[in-house]
Amino acid sequence: MTKQHANPEDTDLYALGALDGGELEAFEAHVRSCSVCAQEVEAARLRVALLGLAAPAVAPPPSVKESLMRRVRAERIPEMPWTERRQEPAKPMRVRSSTWLTPAFGTAAVFFAALAALIWMKDLRDSKRIENLQAQLAVAQAQSVQIAKAAADADQLVGSPGTMRVALAQQPGGPSGGAGVLYNARMGAVMYAGVMPPAPAGKSYQLWLVPASGAPVSLGVFSVTDPNMPVSAHVPPGIVAKAFAVTLEPQGGMPQPTGPKVLVGVVS
Amino acid sequence: MTASMQPVPDSGLVERIMAGDESALAALYDRYAGMLFAMLVRILRDTGAAEEVLQDLFLQLWRGAARFDASRGSMAAWLLVIGRNRAISRLRGRESREILEDPQEFSFESLPSSGNLEDEASRMQLMGRLRAGLATLPAEQREVLELAYFEGMTQTEIAAKTGSPLGTVKSRVRAAMQTLKQYFDDETTRQPGRH
Repeated sequence: MTKQHANPEDTDLYALGALDGGELEAFEAHVRSCSVCAQEVEAARLRVALLGLAAPAVAPPPSVKESLMRRVRAERIPEMPWTERRQEPAKPMRVRSSTWLTPAFGTAAVFFAALAALIWMKDLRDSKRIENLQAQLAVAQAQSVQIAKAAADADQLVGSPGTMRVALAQQPGGPSGGAGVLYNARMGAVMYAGVMPPAPAGKSYQLWLVPASGAPVSLGVFSVTDPNMPVSAHVPPGIVAKAFAVTLEPQGGMPQPTGPKVLVGVVS
Repeated sequence: MTASMQPVPDSGLVERIMAGDESALAALYDRYAGMLFAMLVRILRDTGAAEEVLQDLFLQLWRGAARFDASRGSMAAWLLVIGRNRAISRLRGRESREILEDPQEFSFESLPSSGNLEDEASRMQLMGRLRAGLATLPAEQREVLELAYFEGMTQTEIAAKTGSPLGTVKSRVRAAMQTLKQYFDDETTRQPGRH
């Protein structure tokens, strides 16, 4: 039996946005399942699009462009710190800390520094321990600086137009855990944080960007399983994510995923 | 005189926009703002509103260029479709058809062979042919096309406005679109050297 195609009159009306009521519903239902009619719709939409060129010529005033460019400049993102490219085999990700997933983290860092200071006072007379604790304090202070910078980076990413939050969900049979990704396609920036059990001996977690077409792109390996310690990565230009995934790979990572998916999140 | 300079393809400008190059956005604006603004003013009949839609359109392009796959569709057609969509939504107070706004859902394989809109001369030529083609339509066919395209009316609304049966509206739209298609095809084959 020959498949019945849509009425050509309806195709033109649909392309014009003029089909309505039950006819519109029936037409759309048919086109979803008929590639021939879908192609006809595409051709009709193109002809319809060109109708706009028939409008009498009117030039926009220069102020429109000036205003547009001002808005663009106002939105410009300063150079981001995550500019390094991943090489194969994947390098470990840079570890950054931020408050975007756990707002209490900044406080925790301050607490850490304060704790170190208290211990330092208690053991003031023990010169060896003093040196030790002073070193710890220096580390804590350095971490605080790093935390502040990472928090600023994360705030900037969160506040940038186009930044999306992608929740990565635990996969059946995989280790229990969860994670989130902040993703900005235009900036090429990804920030990941999650709660995962430590990777088994000889294994690493590896984060992947799954593009709309083509092979997954490694965003690096990581062993950090603390949600307070986000990791950031850079997405090569021109690649737009359809999903993010975390797999369990041999230590150091692989050029392409080989292990089981433990977390997956689709970009909506 | 030497051969005319080829314009930078839209895909190249989109790549530069993705890299944060403001001048590429400015170049795309210079290329297409005129034709878009004319369409927006015709639909909205309000230059202030048309300016706002035009600006938002290019701002959307700046923010979402990464989502536009130049291999899947024409930037000019995408801008025309989205610009009209936004203008009609504003005019009629109805929701935008979001599916048409997503470049990843948009897949015009190419413009007609006669319609390379990246080049200013070709763009002007196409505009002229289109206006001439519309002028050849019988008045009642041109009316239904304009009510649908520029006023955003549905077939039922057009039937009510013109006092014509729904079937007549359908057949007039079909006849008008067929005539335009034929006109384009004829014009294309009549011009040697075009490919």
